[in-house]
Amino acid sequence: MEPAPPRRTEAIVAWLVPPACREHVTGDLHERYTTHGQYIAEAVCTIPLVVASRIRRTTDPQVLLMEAFALYISFLGVAWKLNGASFLYGQWGYLRLAIPAAVALATLKLEDAYANPGKRSPLTPILQATFSFGIVCLSQAALLAIDPRWVVPMRIMIYGGAISVVLVSTLRMLFPPCDTRPRNAT
Amino acid sequence: MTAILTLRDQAYGVTIHAKVAELSRPKNVSLGAVYVTLDRLEDKGLISSWLSDPTPERGGRAKRCYRLEALGERALRESAATAKRIWDGIAEVWGKEWAKRWAKEWAKER
Repeated sequence: MEPAPPRRTEAIVAWLVPPACREHVTGDLHERYTTHGQYIAEAVCTIPLVVASRIRRTTDPQVLLMEAFALYISFLGVAWKLNGASFLYGQWGYLRLAIPAAVALATLKLEDAYANPGKRSPLTPILQATFSFGIVCLSQAALLAIDPRWVVPMRIMIYGGAISVVLVSTLRMLFPPCDTRPRNAT
Repeated sequence: MTAILTLRDQAYGVTIHAKVAELSRPKNVSLGAVYVTLDRLEDKGLISSWLSDPTPERGGRAKRCYRLEALGERALRESAATAKRIWDGIAEVWGKEWAKRWAKEWAKER
């Protein structure tokens, strides 16, 4: 009988690999299996590179810049309207507002990498933007526990987040991620 | 691309990684790095890929097989010509005897 990785370990590894490359990557790891340790070590070294490659393939630099701009402008506009210059200049406002924007952007990129190219509905952009806002809220809660000085005020978070969800969803509907690649694959 | 060329119909992740590891000795190449490179080559249109039928030795999973495209063959020819020019340049400076001795040692090591 051929040596095979434990089913539970293999299921975890398969879950961590983006769906677009899950079939062949998990198959290759299965074929190269010798010991449990080797399998885990190889999966740990391989998966981050596979995810990074998937992010590169699904990212259009121009859309990425537009999304980053939309996210930052949403929080900045709300902060300017609600708190004015005192927050932006006096309390490291510009930098603090970049944190939720960066977290949202990173979440969106990971969502694109892990999106299943075969299953894309018209609601996907809205769900992705809403999920990324949820992650931003969680990150702010974590930041509150670590260092409250860097947390964005609640009102700015809520209004800014709502505007960013609308802007990012619209952008994603207009410019869907290029997830049809690999272009030449059949 | 050399690995894909030499492996012909058997070019997929595991075999390509084994071939690349053999070609790049003594440097280690990870499986992840091979996937990243294959993705880039595919995006540039130098190679193409397709999913084969699932096999039991892979836990019932399919292989992603690769083949060289015409553009890739041309790029490989250009790379081979560049490598030849580099080799000739080194042999010219270090002498033909050295080149012969080195080629013999390399063949033995292989």
